[in-house]
Amino acid sequence: MTEANRSPVPASAEAARGRPLPVPDKSSAAFWEAAGRHVLALAKCSGCGKMTLPPDITCPNCLCTDPRFSFEPVDGRGRIRSWVVMRKSFLQGFDLPFVLVDVQLDDHPHVRIVGRLLDGPAAPLKLGATVKVAFEDLAPDVSVPAFQLDQAS
Amino acid sequence: MTGRFLARNKVAIAGFAHSQIVRRPERPLGATAVETARHAIADAGLTVDQIDGFVSAALLPTTGGHDVQDGVSTVTSAWLAQRLGADPAYVVGFQGVGQITGSLSLAVNAIASGAADYVLFHRALHNPPGKYNDNPMVEARGAHQWIAPQGFFGAMPAVAMAYNEYCLRYGATREAMATTVVEARKNGSRIPWSAWRGRPLTVEDYLAQPQVFEPMCRLDADMPVEGVAVFILTSAERARDLPNKPVYVSGFASGYPQEHRATLHWTLDDMMAGGEALSRRLWAATGLGPSEIDLPQLYDGFSPFIYIWLEALGFCQIGEAHDLILSGGIDSDRPGSLPVLSGGGAIGNGRMHGVPQMLENYLQLSGRAGDRQRPGVTTGLACHSTPHYGGVVVYTNDPA
Repeated sequence: MTEANRSPVPASAEAARGRPLPVPDKSSAAFWEAAGRHVLALAKCSGCGKMTLPPDITCPNCLCTDPRFSFEPVDGRGRIRSWVVMRKSFLQGFDLPFVLVDVQLDDHPHVRIVGRLLDGPAAPLKLGATVKVAFEDLAPDVSVPAFQLDQAS
Repeated sequence: MTGRFLARNKVAIAGFAHSQIVRRPERPLGATAVETARHAIADAGLTVDQIDGFVSAALLPTTGGHDVQDGVSTVTSAWLAQRLGADPAYVVGFQGVGQITGSLSLAVNAIASGAADYVLFHRALHNPPGKYNDNPMVEARGAHQWIAPQGFFGAMPAVAMAYNEYCLRYGATREAMATTVVEARKNGSRIPWSAWRGRPLTVEDYLAQPQVFEPMCRLDADMPVEGVAVFILTSAERARDLPNKPVYVSGFASGYPQEHRATLHWTLDDMMAGGEALSRRLWAATGLGPSEIDLPQLYDGFSPFIYIWLEALGFCQIGEAHDLILSGGIDSDRPGSLPVLSGGGAIGNGRMHGVPQMLENYLQLSGRAGDRQRPGVTTGLACHSTPHYGGVVVYTNDPA
């Protein structure tokens, strides 16, 4: 990921109003550290080498009990499988409305991620549209993966 | 289990009681539960000293972070047994998501094995003060860190995501969902204990609602309520000596997620894959198929689940549930239809979490549905939750 992936929508105002911030733990610290650098990383099982997200206690692919996941950068391009226009939120701090998209990653099709679509609620959406990962900066070194429509597609 | 359920039709429901379903209660949930339990024991022609098994599920199904207190916001079997002055040999609770169907299987197995002779099976639902699902978290920890920072939180947005996938794939319209919700509220309006009694809805009412989680609107979710249901189960032999016509349990099956995903990330394909496996086990256990079910009571805690269950259980082709509904296929007043919401469901009664589906099976199959009695009903089923987290129980009044 490069600086070009920086969010066009500064979200720090939302964070200041209490938008939930992720609290990294032992299983997720490397993911959030990478996200802070605007890198999408998936959990790779040291046994079978397959990727997953979120990491689990066991590997969901080979079922081993000691997956010792490492987080590896991925391309972050995918296709929209569904979306929801959020005109209400059970959480505080979000400007309404916003759009959530369910994205299937091109290079890891068993991995699907729900993220905010940063193009906003007026953006034209269609099933299968290509998106690329983007990041919202919520606090110093705290960024959350989101998606943007891939205009090149 | 790979084949027929060995205890098929060997356990029966012998009686029941149901409280009024209310939006805001006038007294604690536990008091209503004790009173409803006493009514159910009497309805079955029994006394409390005969009840030697207590089975329930005690989940308060909210993401709002409410405190859980036994007797106030939930009622466990142990709490209820003590307040009834019972001396049970067998007390268990179910911990999974498909609460009614999962806990019912525990009750059936207890009787079939001889662990208990008369089981009091109950579900008590609470509506906590304040907002039901709003959560003031500012730090997203554990499982929530993967969804809440981006604003993906609560079951309704999760279902809306899978439902929109259905709409996009199969071209389903809001009119089809309006027809579904209107059907639930029509039937619920006829039920004396329903929170929605006397309050049907029109398609126009539905279409006028803002789509708060587009494509879903508020009317697509059941309303949080307070209410208690109690059923008494015993062996088929003992049930035949009791006052009410027995309703037998023919078998059950549960579903489980097969893909690892973030919490509440429910996809259409995951639901249908879970449903395919559940369906296979259910029909193997019961020796039946969808064409032999007179009274399929499908779960509608969120209205899109009706489409999912119709297709997962084989009542219509995949992708065609919305067309079936638009053409009147689930209208319970229309001869030849599939009366999947005749008991009003969750949307027509309030958030009783699988109780309306079980109760409608019991009332219709025991001939106790009063003005709503449907002729010629022999076999039914009751669903709860989704096919990839919930379950199905098949009932009959003809154990032959």
